[in-house]
Parts: sequence; C-alpha cells; structure tokens
Amino acid sequence: MLPTPSLASFDYVKPASPQEVTKLLLKSNGAARLFMGGTDVFVRMRDGFFAPQFLIDVKRLPGMTAIKFGKRAGLAIGAGVDMNTIARHPAVAENYPLLVQAIEAVASYQLRTRATMGGNLCNASPAADTAPAALVLGANLVVHGRRGERVVPIEKFFVGPGKTAMKPGEFLLRIEIPPQPAQRGAVGKYLKLGRNAHGDLAIVGVAVLGYPDKKAKSGFAFRIALASVAPTPIRVPSAEKILSASAITPEIIEAAADAAMETAKPIDDVRSSAEYRKAMVRALTKRGVMEVWEAMKGSGVFHG
Amino acid sequence: MRIDARAKVTGDALYPGDINLPGQLWMQVLFARRPHARIKRLDTAQAERAPGVVHIFTARDVPVNEFGLGSKDAPVLVADEVRWVGEKIALVVAETEAQAEHARDLIAVEYDDLPPTTDSRDAMQPGAPQVHPAYPGNVIKHIPIRKGDVAQGFAQSDVIIESEYRTPAQEHAYLQPEAGVAYMDDENRVTVVVAGQWTQEDQEQIAHALGLRLDQVRVIYPAIGGAFGGREDMSVQIILALAAIKLNRPVKIIWSREESMIGHHKRHPMWLKSKWGATRDGKIIAAQVEIVADAGPYMYTSPKVLGNAAFGAVGPYAVPNVQVDAYTIATNNIVSGAFRGFGGPQAHFQAETQMNKLAEKLGMDPVEIRLKNVLREGSLLATQTPLPGGPVSLPQVVQKCADEFGWQVRGLGDKETRRQGERPSPLATGYGFAAALKNIGFSFGYQENAWAKVEIHGNAEIEKVIVYHGAAEVGQGTHTALAQMAATTLGVSLEKIELRASDTATSKSSGSVSASRMTYIGGNAIKGAAERALKKWTDEERPAMAEYTYLAPKTTNFDPATGKAKPNIAYGYVAQAVEVQVDTETGHVRVVRVTCADDVGRAINPRLIEGQIEGAVIQAQGWTIQENFQSKNGNVLTSTLSTYLIPGILDVPDRVDSVIMEFPDDDGPWGARGMAEMPFIPLAAAIIAAVHDATGVWFDELPLTPWRVLEKLKRK
Repeated sequence: MLPTPSLASFDYVKPASPQEVTKLLLKSNGAARLFMGGTDVFVRMRDGFFAPQFLIDVKRLPGMTAIKFGKRAGLAIGAGVDMNTIARHPAVAENYPLLVQAIEAVASYQLRTRATMGGNLCNASPAADTAPAALVLGANLVVHGRRGERVVPIEKFFVGPGKTAMKPGEFLLRIEIPPQPAQRGAVGKYLKLGRNAHGDLAIVGVAVLGYPDKKAKSGFAFRIALASVAPTPIRVPSAEKILSASAITPEIIEAAADAAMETAKPIDDVRSSAEYRKAMVRALTKRGVMEVWEAMKGSGVFHG
Repeated sequence: MRIDARAKVTGDALYPGDINLPGQLWMQVLFARRPHARIKRLDTAQAERAPGVVHIFTARDVPVNEFGLGSKDAPVLVADEVRWVGEKIALVVAETEAQAEHARDLIAVEYDDLPPTTDSRDAMQPGAPQVHPAYPGNVIKHIPIRKGDVAQGFAQSDVIIESEYRTPAQEHAYLQPEAGVAYMDDENRVTVVVAGQWTQEDQEQIAHALGLRLDQVRVIYPAIGGAFGGREDMSVQIILALAAIKLNRPVKIIWSREESMIGHHKRHPMWLKSKWGATRDGKIIAAQVEIVADAGPYMYTSPKVLGNAAFGAVGPYAVPNVQVDAYTIATNNIVSGAFRGFGGPQAHFQAETQMNKLAEKLGMDPVEIRLKNVLREGSLLATQTPLPGGPVSLPQVVQKCADEFGWQVRGLGDKETRRQGERPSPLATGYGFAAALKNIGFSFGYQENAWAKVEIHGNAEIEKVIVYHGAAEVGQGTHTALAQMAATTLGVSLEKIELRASDTATSKSSGSVSASRMTYIGGNAIKGAAERALKKWTDEERPAMAEYTYLAPKTTNFDPATGKAKPNIAYGYVAQAVEVQVDTETGHVRVVRVTCADDVGRAINPRLIEGQIEGAVIQAQGWTIQENFQSKNGNVLTSTLSTYLIPGILDVPDRVDSVIMEFPDDDGPWGARGMAEMPFIPLAAAIIAAVHDATGVWFDELPLTPWRVLEKLKRK
C-alpha cells in the first residue's frame, strides 16, 4: 500500500473525434479539462487550483501527435506532441532552431517527455517559454469548436494570465508555423533568466529573430518577444522598428533594449521584483539582439 | 563501499514514509499558519462527524503540554497563544489520509490576530511587546566575551574596519520531509518509528510530554533522508506517540514539503555589527562584535547556536583584545534552531570578511594576513584558553589550500596580468579566500559521552561481530565509518560486522549526530567497546561481550561575565579558495571552482569525506547566493521548493577540489577529528571576497540575489 497524493476523483474520458470533444466541453459547462501531458494539470489538481469532473484525453485524436513539414507549407505540430519529440525532429532542428532553444529552456528533459508545446501555449502563462518563440515565428493556432476548425494567429491568442481567445467548446488541434521569413541567414535566440541555471520558471524570457531584409534601412528585420513581464507573452514592435529604421550600431541596440524595457509591464512576486525584471528585459534584449546581429553579419549572407 | 549503498540504491531501505502497518490510521496536523494570535474559539464538532474520523486531539489531550531541546518552553499543541506560523493547533486521526485532510479543514478556529514582532533588534528595545513570558525583554540568551581591552586595542590600531552584516534564514531542504508511524509494541511501549538525530533525546521529549517513564517509550530510526540539524527538535515524534497510545492503533503521518517547510525550524537569521583593528603590518589587535540572532518564539537549540556564533566571532585568529556580545532574541518569526555549522557560518562570514577587508585596506594578500594571525599551538582563544587536541594546523591548512588552488599564481597580485588581453565582457572573474575552525561535539560544559556494546561470536575464529550503538545514519555515512572502526579494532573484514543501531530498546545513547561529533565520540565508544570485547575474546570468552561508555575530557561553559571558558574538546580546521564569475549585466554570481582543504585528523573514509565537503560547499553556496528565504510580517512566502530554490545540478561549481589533510588529534579515534560542518563555514566569506575581487564591491548582506548585486554594482 502506497500513500496516494490526494487527488480528487474524476472521470477519464477519451473521445474518438474532435466533434465529440467539443460536445463534451460544451455540455460539461466548465467541469471538464483537457489532458495532454498532464505535467501542469495534475500538479494543479493536487494543489487544489481546480477539481474537474472530467479529464478529456485528446492526445490520441487523429493528427494530434503528428509533426509535418513542407518547404512551402511550413511546420505543423500536433497539439499532443511532447516537447522532446519536437526538439529532436530533423526538420525542426534545421528550419526552426529558435524553437528548439525555447523548448530546451522548459523545465527539465524528464518533464519534456510528457509536456506538450500545445499545453504550454494553452495554459497561457505569461512565463511560458515557448510563447515568445511562437510569437516571433508567427505561429497560427488551429482550434476546433462548434463550427469546426478555425485559425487564431498567435498575436491574438493570449488575452490574459491563463486566458486564451478560445471560445467555449474550442480546443487546440495543432500549431502551424510558416516558413522562415528568409530561407537563408535568419538567426534566432532565446535567452531565459531564472533564479537557477536550469528548471526554474522564467523571471524574464526574450526571443529575438533577425533576418536580412532589403526593405529595411538597416538591412535587417527583427522580431522580439518577451515572457514573464506582462499579463501575457508580448511582442515589442517599438524595439523592432528601431532596429530596422537605421544602420545598426551599439547605440541603436541600446535604444531598442530601452524600448523593450519601456514596453514591459512586469509585477513583483516571490521570484523577482518588477524593477529587476525591467532591468533584465533591457539586458537580455541587448544581449540577444547583439548575438543575433553578430551571427547575421558573420554569416556573410547579407551585408546591409 | 558504504554498507547501506545496496539497500538504498535498490529501494530495499525503508524510510519512515515507506513503512506501513496493518490497521494503521492517518494523522493530519492543523497548523496555525499565522504568526501571532490568540485562539478565541476552537470547534472540532463538525470535523469529528466527518467520514472516517477516529479522534481529534487538542491541547487539553496532551498530559504535559511542553517540549523543546534547550528549554521545554513550547507547547505541543497550542491552547491559547499562537507565536509562530508553524504552531500546531489540533491533530486529526482518521482511517485514511484523505479523510484526515478533509476533516482537518472542517475544524473551526476563531483567532484574534495580534501584531507580530518580526524585527529582532526592535524586539530588544525597551517597551517592545513581550513574545514569551519566560524571556523578559525578549532576550533568550546573552553571551558576553571579554578579553584584554578593546578600547586600548583600537587606540593602537593603524587601520580599523567597521561593518554591519546580515545573514538570512535557511531551510534544510532534506530529501525526505517529516514522516513516521507509531504503535504499541509487544512490550506495550509506545513505539515511534521516525527520522531524527538522537533516539534518546526523542524518547525523553516524548516521555516528558506524555507523562510517561522513559522505558514506556521506544524510538526507532529506519533509513533517514538527510537531517543537517533540522531533525534535532521535535516535529512528528510527540504527536504520533500521543495518538498511538490513546487509540491503541498504529498511526502514520507524512508531511508534505510545504508542511515540512513551515513546520520545522530554520538557520538563525543574524545581524552582526563588527569593528576590527590591525597594525600596519597586518596584526589584528582588537575585535568588537555584536551579534543579534533571531530565534523565533522558542528556545530550541538557540543557546548552542549562539555559543558557537560568539565563539566564532573572531574567526580562527589569535586576537589579544576581544569584546563580543551575542544575543538570541525572541520574535514571532519562524522558529530558528540547529543547522550545519551551528552559528559558525554566520560568525565566520563576518570575521572572514572583516579579515579580507583589512587585507584590502593594508594592501596585503589575504593568505599572507591570515598566516600572520591564525591560531597556532599555544595561542589563546577569545575564551582565554589554548586549543586542545594536539596540532593546531591552521597555518598548514591555509598554506596548503592556497598552494593547491594556485593562489600565488592567480591571486590578487596577479590581477593586472589577469585582466590584460581580455575582450570587454559583462562577465567578471574574481578570486577569494577564507578559513575557519569548527568545534567537535557539544561541550561548553556538557559532558560529552557515547555508549557502545560489542559482541564477538565464533569459536576458533571470529565469525560475526554485533555492534550495538545509537548513532543515527542520516545519509552522512556514519554507520559505515563506525563499522569500519569496529572491523579495524578487531582485525576482521567489514562484512563480519553487523550493526544494531538507533533503537532505544537495544541501544543506549550515542548522543546526537550533530556538531561534527559522531566519528569522534561515537567512534571512541565503539573502539573502547571493541578493545574490551577483544580482550575477553583472547581470554576465550564465547561470545565475548563488552560495553563501554566513552567520556570525553571535561569542558567548561562561558563565564557569565567574561566568557572565559575551556569550551571544547577538539577542533577541525578548514580553508577555502574560490573562483567566481559575476555577470555584471544580470547580477548573477556563478561559483566556478572551489578548493577546500580540511584537517580531518585521520580520514576514516576518504570518499565519505569528499561527499561531505562537496555537499557542504553546495549547501553553503545556496545559503550565500541562491536560496532566499522570504517572510512578510512573520508569514513565510517561500514555503515550497518552487518558491525557495536550492542549487540545481547546473548551479553547482564546475569543480570542488577536496584536499584532505591529516594532523592527528590526540584523543580522536585513530586521530580523527569531526569534519561534516566545517566545509560549510568559510564559503560565504570566500565567495564575497571573490565577488569583491571581480567587481570592487563588498556585499555585507546575504544572499547575493541578482537584484541585490546589480543594485550595488550600479551605485558603484
């Protein structure tokens, strides 16, 4: 006899089709929760944050554990694919190395054998490590609901801490990531700061994606997104604009980092003060942009 | 190999939480979870009617409602006044754990919340609210030490360093949270199977609170998942026994991590005000130190911790003029108690940082200034007595640590060369040095002792040896070391030794596994018993049996006015050099490399010693840099391991080089000294010195959270 953690009892449901899931979600009226890797759901159930009547296992629905890649179509990741499987997929490693960096910043390897990127995004934690990468990569989220499938751009997906744009009855089927903006020469970097070197939630996370862009005055376009410094993961267009508007210099990078810091609206909590988070947005944005810029210059693909 | 390795690796070893008995009930504790309040009404009626509930215990069910190691000043269950968040209000016993938990939440308690006293220095002010009736002015203990004349010493000093230091609480974070099971054994003794550090102390505390004779209580330790001092005071021992005896059924409890973190004591937070003076050539001539330790509301082991802090206030140095005033003060913060080093780490952080600041001010090398001032044979301690036990190896330990680290090559003198040719980087590298001494055993007037019994079985040859002793194997490997010592004395292989340990029904007291004492004191008891049994064996007694109680040389407590004392029986000596890397943009400090030289007297088991050194270094690094115990108005904000972060595998130093030195102690078994605490003690000061070397900034407050570091670097 082993002591069991005191999980309240619940019904485990494994529907055969997305339609059935939607129906169940609507019928249960909030008493059901989706279950994929369970790395977050079970912890929260144990800690009493919620006590669902039904756990709906959606991992085995058609397509939920598939990864597809095409040069034109881009990448499609089933919502039930565990993070380690995504990170070691050759097409992901080759075409979306930034996504691999972000995934490897999540918790631990052990946890990532269960945890899914779909779950990470749907939890809508401001600290989700895969969210800034998904933001700068321009991910689209394909959800299933009452009227079948619809696409929600990642920019519109997060609406508050723990809140997404999904309507009652909707759930995530897959994450679609378009081809990289430039076939060659794009560089991405995810920098995460925790209280320890490995496993902590982000105090601040910064994703930077840069690519050669002839239309930009600097010759480069940048996309920058932040975790843990606002009610949702956010893009910082102000910093991105500064970096494309004129030739890049250390001063311009400083100005972009300042703009990112101004955009951040962090809170004080037990992990960090708001003030420190702001300072770190600046420091990590500067570091991330610098690294990306130097890598792009060094690649010899484009000299602005 | 450790004698317990196979069982622990295969999972055969049972820890208290693994043990289940037929018909057992489950207990849950209702904690106060508020720092200061009066109970207005306590209503258990609804909870009693809840499914599965067998009994609910409150204060009136406890025959003698008090416990505590230093003084029995704490209630087992609170009747009226709550003085800290971890006070126990009621116990629910039910058929299942879930039922007990459910019923616990149905107990209705109405409190009158009272303003908590949370600043130990405010609590010392005249007119401050009285936290506990036993401690007028909230002073639980004051230890003064007076040697020479500090005023004259400062007058003669060419340089003076004055500082104010602050150190935080620390959580033990042992692998296994508190758990246990109690039952009536076949001799009708209430038997508690639990994790602790001293079976006889647990037995005495249980017997006292339940109004029983000692022989009516039995305490057994199975495998124990770490202790570090955190299991020295009572957690689940008394409450399990109370329920088992009343209900006459086995009762089990397992605390969650969160309950463990609010339910047991922490390392004492301290404030240390310090003024040291030295001559131009680097000779320390005066040290004045005031220490205020935050005890929380009850004594626990505070006087012992304070004694070591007062003793360590001048570090491992011979200082002619000393004035120390150490206070431990009652507050409504989480209760403080024993933790690896017993006040030594806090005191040495102050002393060694003072030393490093003096070195800086005098333009001297930190190793050189230490060699000028360390205690040597014949030197007088601040307590005006010499160090016992043979060689005082501090000069050799300091020198060896410096040599092994490559201090002369990489030290302060070489800073310019070091910085040349570096490209501009936010990462700054620095090197730091510190040393310490640690007493072995409780002492300070306490008659140190340990008991052992050895039975030799066989006919022509020794076939089996049974060793009875009381030492708790908390993970440190003491059972292996003790078995080795028995085997060596008897000239038999380790496989022939069978230990019967940690059961008050079969063993008398070996004392606590704390104060780095068991190898020394427990080892002497086993050596003595084995020698006597061997003599009987050669006299042809079959089986040959002998008991022996080792009594260590006498010591004396601090003189109440001057602190004069012969405080300890033996010491261990340690020095550390560290390399750190400071990220000047994020404030993160990474310990790259640590060299730790320890005089252990005689290494009974070098691999276990390396384990202790590496473990202590990592635990001390946590206290210095990452761990950040936070409270607000007496409430704990960091009561989980996701809010209170201990170092993870990627946070530990790239290298810890253990340098084991052997200058035999006169009285230790085979010359062994105790060593399990000392590698903790100098690390904070060594890291602080290295951060200063890297950045030019002194940090007088721990921990080095990135924000604190960054703030001070900005202000530079």
